[in-house]
Amino acid sequence: MILLQATQITKRFAHRMVLNGVDLDVQAGEVVAIFGPNGAGKTTLIKILSTLVKPTSGAFQIAGIDAIANPLRVRSSLGVVAHEPFAYLEWSPYENLKFFGRLYGVDALEERIADLLADVELTPFAHEPVRIFSRGMTQRFMIAKALIHDPTLLLFDEPFSGLDVAAKQFVLKLIQQERARGKGLILTTHDTELGYHAASRFLFLLDGQIEPVAEKAEIELTELSRQYEQRLKK
Amino acid sequence: MKGFRQIIWLIRKDLALQFRTKDTLILIFVFSILVVLIFSFAFGPIFPDDPEDRAKLAASVLWTAFSFAGIITLNRSFDLERANGAIQGVRLTGVDPSNFYLSKVISTLVFLTMLELIVTPIALQFLEVLDVLPAIVQERLLLTLLKLIGVLAIGTLGFCAVGVIVSGISTSTHGKESLLSVVLLPLIFPVIMAGAKCSVSLLTTGGLEGNFWISILVVYSLVFLASAYLLFEFVIEG
Repeated sequence: MILLQATQITKRFAHRMVLNGVDLDVQAGEVVAIFGPNGAGKTTLIKILSTLVKPTSGAFQIAGIDAIANPLRVRSSLGVVAHEPFAYLEWSPYENLKFFGRLYGVDALEERIADLLADVELTPFAHEPVRIFSRGMTQRFMIAKALIHDPTLLLFDEPFSGLDVAAKQFVLKLIQQERARGKGLILTTHDTELGYHAASRFLFLLDGQIEPVAEKAEIELTELSRQYEQRLKK
Repeated sequence: MKGFRQIIWLIRKDLALQFRTKDTLILIFVFSILVVLIFSFAFGPIFPDDPEDRAKLAASVLWTAFSFAGIITLNRSFDLERANGAIQGVRLTGVDPSNFYLSKVISTLVFLTMLELIVTPIALQFLEVLDVLPAIVQERLLLTLLKLIGVLAIGTLGFCAVGVIVSGISTSTHGKESLLSVVLLPLIFPVIMAGAKCSVSLLTTGGLEGNFWISILVVYSLVFLASAYLLFEFVIEG
């Protein structure tokens, strides 16, 4: 089942073409890793796919719905983890999850919040303000917030950046869990090793264009890293 | 029904966040009292004897204080939304932008009306307006004060109707705070003008009978509220 299908997405800021004809699709139960250096357009692509920014041209559907024409209709299918928390840091994780859960119209919200906080190991900090959290704790909170409404498609922008080894392993585990539950997931990263372990398919985003690389079964980590470094040198 | 519930939760969120930090509440209260004190010292200690002059002074003080306190409140309220991309989090829930707009108008209105309830009696006392009110107004003092709060609330609604959409525009631009003040003040001028005229009328005659300015105040506020409600989607979604 195709969760997302993007065709010829372009984005121009002033005279700079950040994305230049991006084609992308994601199936249910698939994790797609997009590798690219800083400034490659990864964040812009995630913002467009999350419907927060409109593309200059192109089209994309989420669960078969035209996401550019109907952004409000598709947003409840999306769970987004971005660079910013997209939350109120004066509030605790519990308060944030309750507020956003209500806006999404989540049923049995209290149970859902308790389960999610347990999943991301934040139960002891459920009522502490998020602003005092470490980077790793904030990232776990952001993942819980992205999952509160049980979305079918997850968009993770650099989910490993700034995390220590344990926190990276934690995020990897969560990604695998969500994949096993049939979710589709796009993650952007410049770390080939983590991306390799997290994803089932790999793409490069270079000079605003997507370059398909391989399915996980078709490529070893060393070969993926070698190809990526080679493409960066070009 | 879902939209209505979302508006309620958004209003509760705004008020909870404002009361959690309390800094906006303290800031606008101190600012408003400061305005009252500055005017009191500038025009006092012996204020004009003519009740109409005294009413004009009181109206100037109240509308100056509440206009700038409103700008501070809007700035702080949208700062909370901009910080850490919170507004993007709300957008991602699929909330109708018009409902988001309405919730911001109502929460800012509630916040500012509370300020007006506290500051108005203090300002009238400091400016010794109550001592010189005409007999007809003295007889119906409580009713007159309630009408005054009503006029201030309608003016505040007009202010919020304009202010929230301008704040929404300034959210996605550079020079946010300066843009809000520069664009908002000319747009709310009719509200301030009509509000001040109505306030003077209330404090001198105790009523608004046949008052052209109350119609201006109500119509301007409602027209802006309705048009901004319909247009806010384009402001937020681009």
